[in-house]
Amino acid sequence: MPEATPKPEELVQINYDPHEKDWRKTRPEFRKGTFCHAALPKDVKYLGLPNPRDWQPPDVDWKLPPNWKEIILQGMKERLEKFRSFRLFMDICVRCGACADKCQFFLGSGDPKNMPVLRAELIRSVYRRYFTTTGKLFRGLAGARDLTEDVIKEWFYYFYQCSECRRCSVFCPFGIDTAEITMMVRELLNLVGVNTNWVIGPVANCYRVGNHLGIQPHGFKDSIDFAVDDLEEITGVRVEAPINRKGAEVLFIVPSADYFATPHYYTLLGYLMLFHEIGLDYTFSAYAAEGGNFGLFSSHELAKRLNAKMYAEAKRLKVKWILGGECGHMWRVVNQYMDTMNGPADFLEVPVSPFTGTRFENTRSTKMVHICEFTSDLIYHNKLRLNPSRNDHWKVTFHDSCNPARGMGLLEEPRYILRKVCNHFHEMPENTIREQTFCCGSGAGLGSDENIEARLRGGLPRANAVKYVRDKHGVNLLTCICAIDKATLPTLLEYWTPGVDVGGIHELLGNALIMKGEKERTTDLRGQPLQQKSEAVHA
Amino acid sequence: MPGISPSQKQAIAERWLAVALETYPAQSRQFLEGEKDPFRNPVGQSLRTQIPKLVDELFGDMDPQRLGQALEELVRLRAVQQFTPREALGFLFLLKPICREELPADAQARAELEDRIDEIALVGFDIFVRCREQIYEIRANEAKRRVALLERMNPEAGR
Repeated sequence: MPEATPKPEELVQINYDPHEKDWRKTRPEFRKGTFCHAALPKDVKYLGLPNPRDWQPPDVDWKLPPNWKEIILQGMKERLEKFRSFRLFMDICVRCGACADKCQFFLGSGDPKNMPVLRAELIRSVYRRYFTTTGKLFRGLAGARDLTEDVIKEWFYYFYQCSECRRCSVFCPFGIDTAEITMMVRELLNLVGVNTNWVIGPVANCYRVGNHLGIQPHGFKDSIDFAVDDLEEITGVRVEAPINRKGAEVLFIVPSADYFATPHYYTLLGYLMLFHEIGLDYTFSAYAAEGGNFGLFSSHELAKRLNAKMYAEAKRLKVKWILGGECGHMWRVVNQYMDTMNGPADFLEVPVSPFTGTRFENTRSTKMVHICEFTSDLIYHNKLRLNPSRNDHWKVTFHDSCNPARGMGLLEEPRYILRKVCNHFHEMPENTIREQTFCCGSGAGLGSDENIEARLRGGLPRANAVKYVRDKHGVNLLTCICAIDKATLPTLLEYWTPGVDVGGIHELLGNALIMKGEKERTTDLRGQPLQQKSEAVHA
Repeated sequence: MPGISPSQKQAIAERWLAVALETYPAQSRQFLEGEKDPFRNPVGQSLRTQIPKLVDELFGDMDPQRLGQALEELVRLRAVQQFTPREALGFLFLLKPICREELPADAQARAELEDRIDEIALVGFDIFVRCREQIYEIRANEAKRRVALLERMNPEAGR
């Protein structure tokens, strides 16, 4: 039954302070649109994870195992001993508040538990209660609280409203990596079977087939072949796109969305054109057909399992080094974890560009180069012929995807490419880009559609900065180098900043690239008519 | 409404802003109110800039375009925050008690003013529903983009 219609005087009687109580006593409200669905038992079973069952977050009974508390506390103890960073991050926060207003989920929602300091306090309070003397003795007075089922629910709610983007960490005077706190909490939740479909489904797919979407090798080949046909129509040039070719110099790994979703696909076309034009000796792998690693959003053990295929395929295919596409968290895994998870990759060589001779010393340990590093180096050495006017229908801005920007410091390379491949490039305000970039609000396994309202809140600060350049410079394309960005930013912009499309750096490169033997280009890679036909060769 | 001074309008806007901010949790209010950088605080910025515009329209021409634009920015925001519909739009009605206290007026003038506030609320209701509907549309559009290539490769699929 609907509520009785309130009288006018009742309408203004609103409780404006729903959260005035002590934060330790409030419970999250699982309102539709703000949380992700629970993982399916079949996927949980497939991965051999604990407690597969049917449940959903709004349920009163989450069907936790009878000894759930013991499991969580034991899990915390093990992790505190194993990961010094976790122990340090639990101990050293002085609650200075520098991070408090840096999280886009806080900025968009106004919910104080989305302040990184308070979100972390949700687990720190439990840490104090069970692992510190003052907390054991003085309980609430020492900022400690008991571990209850409500705390588990609260962890689930708020640590799945953290996109592990690490914007807050940039401002922390102690360098606390809040993303790693979120990772630890998600690992603990995993131990009692509290995980989400949007993460565990793709992980199970990837573990079985090699990519998040569960596309089998022949499906992968179909997509790549389709792209080759498409390119021939647009450019008149037939490119080759080898798969599983042993003895190639380079293994190329992309996020799976590149060969199934838009606007990612146009970036894939750009890669294929580039490799053909320079004559790169490379191969795709039908098994390492996924750069993304949703394991990272669940546990380090799952991240390691999924990441292992990169080196395994590099070894099997006997390549010299690995090149990676426009992917986000892949680079966080590659740069910060791969070497210790599955390395050292002694069987590979330090990557050297066969065209410029540049030795990528920064990848000496991982043996894996980012496509933007590779391409900007080519352009710098005048190895590409470009006609930036083919992108004149775009007024472009660049969104620094969190993981390449903050996780590996890739700030200049994409901008360098953009300035060479288009004529209209405008930066968003300084405090919304580079290290301070605002997250799309959908990373770390939050890119599902059932939690769209949480995403719209988290994406507001980014969209707000895009709106500024749209209104000031007429920007109509937001470029980025992350597959999750490309999947979710169009949705956010449709709601917050209509009139701005989303695209990849190598899509624009493909538009501008002058290929040997190409026919006169009449459309861009999206099939949109070109604005100008002048051939003002750049390099 | 004739005879209202700029300082009275400003007083109304300030009080209205204060009660609108009170719809957010106490721990967040200081930030929403205090941080003036528009990019670091988009919610506070929208409230700060749009509320005076609405007050201008309330005592001005009630221009549908200007009114719609100002309301759009506020309501679009509140349509996705943790509010019930009543809470999301209720702050518009709070203009009534504020105006009653700030403006001693005769019964007819008050009735006219309150009619205008009701009109603002109705426009807000339209926008709120449009935003909620749009959320379902953008979800569907996103799902289509996820399999866009699959559809192109199999044009007969699903027909």
